[in-house]
Amino acid sequence: MATKTVELVVGPREPHFVGDGFRVHNFIPSTYRLDMQRMNPIIMMDYNSPYYFEPSDIPKGVGVHPHRGFETVTIAYKGKVEHHDSSGGGGIISEGDVQWMTAASGVLHKEFHEKEWSKKGGDFQMVQLWINLPAKDKMSAPKYQSIENAKIKRFTLEKGMGEIEIIAGEYKGIKGTASTFTPLHMFNAKLKEGAKATFNFPPHYNTALLVIEGEVIVNNTEEAPTDNFVLMANDGEEFTIEAKNDAIVLILSGEPIHEPIAAHGPFVMNTKQELLQAFDDYNKGKFGYLED
Amino acid sequence: MNNFRFTAYLTSNIDSDKSIIDQILSQCLTKHYNKNEFLLRQNEKCKYTFFVETGLLRQYSIDDKGKEHIIQFAPENWFMTDRESVYFNQPSHYFIQALENTTVLLLEEQFLLDLAQKDASFLAFNNKLLHNHIRHLQRRVTQLQSATAEERYLYFIKIYPDLLLRVSQIQIASYLGITPESLSRVRKELAIKNSQQ
Repeated sequence: MATKTVELVVGPREPHFVGDGFRVHNFIPSTYRLDMQRMNPIIMMDYNSPYYFEPSDIPKGVGVHPHRGFETVTIAYKGKVEHHDSSGGGGIISEGDVQWMTAASGVLHKEFHEKEWSKKGGDFQMVQLWINLPAKDKMSAPKYQSIENAKIKRFTLEKGMGEIEIIAGEYKGIKGTASTFTPLHMFNAKLKEGAKATFNFPPHYNTALLVIEGEVIVNNTEEAPTDNFVLMANDGEEFTIEAKNDAIVLILSGEPIHEPIAAHGPFVMNTKQELLQAFDDYNKGKFGYLED
Repeated sequence: MNNFRFTAYLTSNIDSDKSIIDQILSQCLTKHYNKNEFLLRQNEKCKYTFFVETGLLRQYSIDDKGKEHIIQFAPENWFMTDRESVYFNQPSHYFIQALENTTVLLLEEQFLLDLAQKDASFLAFNNKLLHNHIRHLQRRVTQLQSATAEERYLYFIKIYPDLLLRVSQIQIASYLGITPESLSRVRKELAIKNSQQ
């Protein structure tokens, strides 16, 4: 079986704030060679590397904003986030949980540090991804999948060397918890020092890793330090990760959606006309209403 | 060339030969302003017309009670200046401020006047621009005198389709001449009416 090689190792960019509650490094689409098509269906990745937030009685976060045409996936590594949306949905995600929101035809939502967590302050670490939807599903009804850590299926490595949490897709016959619109694998590999894990995805799937904690070596040669993003080439199928010390690695691999992308702000559609329609619908309240 | 966008704007709006357009561009300075930086302050003389390449500007005054009143926003491809100050050489009543990191072209008034004398098509273009601006201001006066909050909001989203996502509601309310509470009520009523369709 051919090896899937490393195409690019990217360090974190200068962070910026999203609202006042998320201090993020953007990897997709602002990195050179990592535009929306390169990792399609993963069209945006913001990484809030560990950051200490001072205690605050007024929770920090992002106020009401719309989305249309894709899904947002928030993976919490440290800290707590509370979210609400215009369809009346909402909830709290804590360490290890995943919130999978299918914005599709459109929602308004807001995300803030959870009230009690905010009062105490603490270390905060999260990943937010935007997952593209195929044209036929862009205007489907919005929905949520709230995935608590305890419900995430796991593959345990031999000799207690760690585990692979399967958020979506499939690993060694174990199916992930989240349902997806197009084939997509999303795992958290939690590896003890010296642990080795092998992954296997079709060559044409767009594949990448994000080193959340520790340092790893990919395919015995390529070093990937903490906070680095590793883009895998579309050549072979199989690659290995070895943990130099205790490590957590987010692993993403999806079948590309071969459709044009027209994106502006919080809308990702296929044509400019659909984008203008999204702005008009949002301005005229067709996404519903949510109090600030 | 970094003033590509302005070239595109000019070529689509004036029937002038390329040498005239090259001449305009060669005389224009490009300048970058960070978010919140001022391009003009009250009582200063405005020296330029600003053409927004990327980013967003606002022009506003502050009344005796310290309250801000936004007269115009200028996103990409919009011009902004204080015509009273720049043309009649008077101290300005206005502030012009970048609301986002913004890149503008600086157009000097005398340069534009000279060009209009030399080139008939540029004169026509500049004339059209000026009348377009007057039309816009007339409509704003009428709206501020007689339109309902909802009518003002609907006109706003027509001319500035993406500003609701770029500007705070307080600033939009200031532009519309209504309270932020009224704006919130208008948007809520529209949502109730339109989200059921």
